[in-house]
Amino acid sequence: MEEHLTFIGSVTAQLVRAVPVTLLILAVSGVCATVLATGLTAMSVARSPLPRLIQRTWTFLFRGTPLILQIFMIYYGFAMVPWIRHGILWAAFRDPVFCTCLAMTCCCSAYIAEIFRGALAAVPRGEIEAGRACGMTGFMLLRRVIAPSLIRIALPSYSNEIIMMTKSTSLASTITVLDITGVAQQVIAHSYRTLDVFCAAAALYLLINATLSTLLTALERRLDVDRAPTPLAPIPPTLEPLS
Amino acid sequence: MSKTLRGAVLGLAVLLSLGGARAADLPPRTVVIGTEGAFPPWNITRPDGTLIGFEPDLLQILCQRANLRCQLVAQDWDGMIGALQAHKIDVIADALQITPARKAVLAFSLPYAVTTGVFVTQKDSPLARMANRDLVLDLDANPTPEHQTQALAALREELRGKTLGVAISSTYDGFLDKYLADVITVKSYRTMGERDLDLLSGRIDLTLDDTTYLRPLLAAPDAQDLVLVGPELIGGELGAGEGFGLRKDDTALAERLNAAIRSAVEDGTVRRLSLKWFKADATPTLDAHPGAAAGSPQP
Amino acid sequence: MMDDLTLLGFGPDGWAPLLLKGCLLTLAVSATSMAIGTVLGVLLAWARLKGPRWLRRTALVYGVVLRGVPELLVILLLYFGLPSLILSLSETFGWEAPGLPPPFLIGSVSVGLVSAAYQAEIFRGGVGAIPRGQFEAARAMGFGDLMCFHRIVLPQVTRIVLPALGNVWQFNLKDSALIAVTGLSELMRTSLVAAGSTRHPFLFFGVAMALYLVLTTLSSTAFHYGGRYSNRWDRG
Repeated sequence: MEEHLTFIGSVTAQLVRAVPVTLLILAVSGVCATVLATGLTAMSVARSPLPRLIQRTWTFLFRGTPLILQIFMIYYGFAMVPWIRHGILWAAFRDPVFCTCLAMTCCCSAYIAEIFRGALAAVPRGEIEAGRACGMTGFMLLRRVIAPSLIRIALPSYSNEIIMMTKSTSLASTITVLDITGVAQQVIAHSYRTLDVFCAAAALYLLINATLSTLLTALERRLDVDRAPTPLAPIPPTLEPLS
Repeated sequence: MSKTLRGAVLGLAVLLSLGGARAADLPPRTVVIGTEGAFPPWNITRPDGTLIGFEPDLLQILCQRANLRCQLVAQDWDGMIGALQAHKIDVIADALQITPARKAVLAFSLPYAVTTGVFVTQKDSPLARMANRDLVLDLDANPTPEHQTQALAALREELRGKTLGVAISSTYDGFLDKYLADVITVKSYRTMGERDLDLLSGRIDLTLDDTTYLRPLLAAPDAQDLVLVGPELIGGELGAGEGFGLRKDDTALAERLNAAIRSAVEDGTVRRLSLKWFKADATPTLDAHPGAAAGSPQP
Repeated sequence: MMDDLTLLGFGPDGWAPLLLKGCLLTLAVSATSMAIGTVLGVLLAWARLKGPRWLRRTALVYGVVLRGVPELLVILLLYFGLPSLILSLSETFGWEAPGLPPPFLIGSVSVGLVSAAYQAEIFRGGVGAIPRGQFEAARAMGFGDLMCFHRIVLPQVTRIVLPALGNVWQFNLKDSALIAVTGLSELMRTSLVAAGSTRHPFLFFGVAMALYLVLTTLSSTAFHYGGRYSNRWDRG
């Protein structure tokens, strides 16, 4: 029993050392995907058909294929393309963490853009018209009227997407990254104590997700202008309808 | 006349194929043999479902000599030992290295091939000039010869700080842990294919695998940038050659197969087939492996 | 180019038959896991809505855990953990050790378990979307629980949840690619094996992506028409 506890303790310590890798992938791809999604959202409401076509193709391509396949394509597929393999880009593509972040940025930006698009459509027309009536145009209208509403509307779905992304970071382990899942598999290959190791890893993911979801719920409540803050339990992540 | 001649030729062929073994007086027996069908060039499944490779070829001859009616079935490596214990199959033929760890759960036939582990790197890598290419390090050698100790020390120095890729749970885990793990970075891949792609792209500096797997790989037109380097490894944690896995209580089958293997080794059948499939002679020296015989006391 | 065509053809060196078989296996695994997810999801939703307190709690914890842990980890846990669990159980109780579950079963069960957690939320939401008044009216007319479910919940919930189930199906289809790590030769695994052994990863992953796009597009079209069909009596 004591030996068992010591083992779990040492495994947990090993896994905790891999948490920064998981968080790094999450942070980099989370920020990049959000920025890219903003651009895609803008393209989706553009007047000319080309940007709209690009946005639609992007969404179709990245939401219609599994992320693991996208990761393998970028990691193994691109490595065999001569101009990447022998060009200056190789310094980046050589690194599996970069490849994971790139794949997750592309994939998750497609999902986040759909969330933003839905939220944009839900911004009350009246608010925008009122803004126009007050003489606001372009950027001012966006910053003062559209963005605040959009963020409030999109935040719950956006939080879900972040939780989904945290889970997706585990795919990095399939291309040799030693994130939490990668380290867990490494430990198992040497100790064969599957249940203990995977349960410890699962607990770490739950902890990360619970923290993130608490933070995001708190943010939601802060931004909620209509309702007085009431103490609510953190909302567990749910799958949002996508289209 | 022609009938007589044909009869004589047939008789000679039978005599030859029996190789002088006692198999003729043994009653026929039906044996189910499990193989992976996905481990070229040992066993390969063709798109139409038939099994080809070194082992199917060899088994055809061995079964004839041991008077066995053999049925070859393909199944995943994962469940193979379980299927053997459950009597679903009687023999495992899957390039199974006779390692001490496996001998705890299985009985082995005599080795029907012995293959070495070897390193592969890229031609433009500094490792391409690794020393001792002509040396075969026998990790079982006791006492260890001086030049072997030196070669292992040199290997450690040459590989210091390098990244080596292997397939997960490979035969080489034990060796790497014991001799190199503290000086190199080991990257584990789920399949050999993934590992090979990263070797080609240069994400890993080198790999360690069986010569029978690596030689055909190096012969492929898109693997021209790869080269075999450093000493070849055999014995110890790497195992004492490839043998058939058997149930520990099935000594009768072990004896039949051992006699057939012995005859196939002695008359050059193993040499011929290994040259055909491996492009190298993998004939084992049977007297050097008394411990590999089935039914022998376990260490 | 000729080379690529040979590799993707039906000839002796062509991977087309195996890739198509992989597609079928992907569909089969996704459908099985969807079915497991629906059955378990309905039970979980029932437990959350009508179960006794301890069952409500259990269902809640199940949902939080299965939606908070990476799918890959669930699959790996079942794939590596189940055999040792079965073995230790059979040792403890002195059963004869049963054979190990095949990868197909492990894969569909693990994706199904995750799917159930999401489907439970959808069914719960679906029942919640039925106006309270209808239940009160049913009770007033002397409907029992079963009758209520059969006449009021079932016809409406199916219609309400269908679009959301379509989303879960898409997720199942894509999650099934993760089963590749267990060695089941579905589409992802087949493309990986082909990429590794021919050393043309760009080609084969590209083809696999195209095939997944076909599968997702076809099934979303099917769900779209299914939705139209189930809404055929809806006006407005």
